[in-house]
Amino acid sequence: MVVEVSIPPLLQTLADGTKQIDVGGGTVSECLEAVVKRYPRLKARLFTRGGKIAKGLNIYINGEGVYPDVLARSVKDGDKVHLAYLIFGG
Amino acid sequence: MALNTGKLLRLNLSSGKVATESVPGSVAADFVGGRGYGIRYLYDEMTPGIDPLGEENKLIILNGPLAGNMAQAVSRWMVCTKSPLTGAFARSVCGADFGAWLKFAGYEVVIIEGKAEKPVYVHLTPDGCQILDAGEIWGKDTKETQAWLNQRHGKDTRTACIGPAGENLVKYAAIVSDRRTAGRCGTGTVLGSKNLKAVAVTAKRNIQLADPEAYEKLAKEQVNIIRNNEGFQSHKEWGTTSTQDITNGIGIYPVRNFRYGQHIDHEKLTGEEYRKLRTGDMGCYSCPARCGKVHTVASGIYAGAHSEGPEYESIWAFTGPIESNSIEASIAADQLCDDLGLDTISTGGCIGFAYELYEKGLLKKSDTDGLELNYGSHEPMVALVKKIAMREGIGDMLAEGTMRMAASIGKGSEAYAIHVKGLELPAYEPRGAKSQGYNYVTANIGANHCYGYAAQDIFGAPFPRPTDRFSEENADVVIFNQDGTASKETGIACGFSGGWGWADSHFGKLLAAARGIDDFADNDYLNKVGERMFNLERAFNVREGFDRKQDTLPDRIRKEPLHTRQAPGEGQMVSHQDEFLDKYYSLRGWTKEGIPTPEKLKELGLGFMVADITGK
Repeated sequence: MVVEVSIPPLLQTLADGTKQIDVGGGTVSECLEAVVKRYPRLKARLFTRGGKIAKGLNIYINGEGVYPDVLARSVKDGDKVHLAYLIFGG
Repeated sequence: MALNTGKLLRLNLSSGKVATESVPGSVAADFVGGRGYGIRYLYDEMTPGIDPLGEENKLIILNGPLAGNMAQAVSRWMVCTKSPLTGAFARSVCGADFGAWLKFAGYEVVIIEGKAEKPVYVHLTPDGCQILDAGEIWGKDTKETQAWLNQRHGKDTRTACIGPAGENLVKYAAIVSDRRTAGRCGTGTVLGSKNLKAVAVTAKRNIQLADPEAYEKLAKEQVNIIRNNEGFQSHKEWGTTSTQDITNGIGIYPVRNFRYGQHIDHEKLTGEEYRKLRTGDMGCYSCPARCGKVHTVASGIYAGAHSEGPEYESIWAFTGPIESNSIEASIAADQLCDDLGLDTISTGGCIGFAYELYEKGLLKKSDTDGLELNYGSHEPMVALVKKIAMREGIGDMLAEGTMRMAASIGKGSEAYAIHVKGLELPAYEPRGAKSQGYNYVTANIGANHCYGYAAQDIFGAPFPRPTDRFSEENADVVIFNQDGTASKETGIACGFSGGWGWADSHFGKLLAAARGIDDFADNDYLNKVGERMFNLERAFNVREGFDRKQDTLPDRIRKEPLHTRQAPGEGQMVSHQDEFLDKYYSLRGWTKEGIPTPEKLKELGLGFMVADITGK
């Protein structure tokens, strides 16, 4: 089971410049934990202290927005998970 | 289900004539409303080549079919006209309550023609329209003007007005409503040129929908979707007061007139630091986000400064261009711009340009009324804001915008004038977010961040596909963003709400229920409307003499490497503009000179104007 996780520009600096990473996991939560295992500095940017998804972070699976209960969503082999901050301007 | 195309008010300030019309069903079907109506009427009614500040220019105020009811984040309003800053099509969007109130009075379109002999304001109610003497408020700031009109016409009044900057014909004067602004392109300047101080609307809530039952059901669903969305929760908490944390982090926060992509003191300018001075929040009609964060300065030289803002663009405008680290100065400058009626982005851009000219010796202390324009020094910046609005001393030159400043100064200053088509660049560095930069290049109004915001480059949005932010091969994404924005501005949906999860599933259906035109529920239909609007705006510009030559980023962006300090992206440049434009025009169905082809215009149902631009 391989899921591709795309890291948004801001967080790439905390992941040695990595834009995409292949991880294993059956849920969004497991995938993100696998990402954090590889790049521990991302933990505080992906999760709150209580283990919820960090505020302002939107998750997409194969281009479709996922909410609520983001972390519990299941993923399957070949899925693409995107992390994005969506503010749209200023 | 009855057809509800919206009512149009036409008023001529020269003759005093006032008339109402219904928007024809064919116009509603092809252009939906909002910005769609704006460009359709502007294109049809404007004579090419007219002076934007002359009597012949028209200014159109529009809300959208969704304004003024329970659906959320769709009560914005906008102004369309010919810009005095660029000479091109202008659209500038605003929030607060005014759009809803205009709907309550019964109008979706207000076309203002001619020029009043002396200062006037317009008072609209559901019963009609009066053109009234504005002698008592001419010269007052926007806060005083709105208070005066509220006192005169009662608490059920909402106003869009200009301040002294508009009266003094500063080329980038804004129209202000409450503390929100239709800031860009000099729409307030056009109002000033017509001796029109304000449009005030007195009305009570009044729903105008083709299918109220279906609409209400959709609106309730929309509320539930938004409530659970992470993007909404974040926006409610921060507004855009923390966007600089991201742009500094990835090296696209323009500093020192677009030489650097990260502020040297960015840790002093974070969202958390602004939050320490936050004293409240404000919002627009029927929007739960209340994203306007109010800041108050309690001590120091700016003590007492108080503003609904600055939001991200204005935070940048008063810290980035001159590399100031004073949050307090940014609040003071933002308040002044709102009071005096100035676009913060162009104001900050012009001041940053002046600082660089001072550094390079092209402006001397004798030229600057004794101000020493040294980077990091914020007091001269705040002084310049006032001088610009009043056209006092050096402010008279800065009031013309960077393009005209450079033309008047000469001596190579053009190399440091940071604009596209005369409109100053906003707060995203094109060399580190190239799809955003190419949106500036090709946007019909000049360098505007909201005309096709590249959320892919900046935030990692995956739709329609992910991008490499340093790549110059994303013409398809730029077009997707521009046409999508145009279609949403028929609504007129707030750009921020695009990230709240409701738009794809509900925007079109809400439009269909509001108008009584089922086709609007089809997103493909709406995307085609967006493309139609964008092409008609381009045709408006072509008719004014624009073509490929004006589609260019400033020299600095194309010839100097970006310096990003601690952020990624060091050395980036925009190097393939010609190749980008070739691809972009080809995908658009335009000629190599950037002119929409007859085939494309006919495909979009715009065959009626092929002859207008043939041969150009």
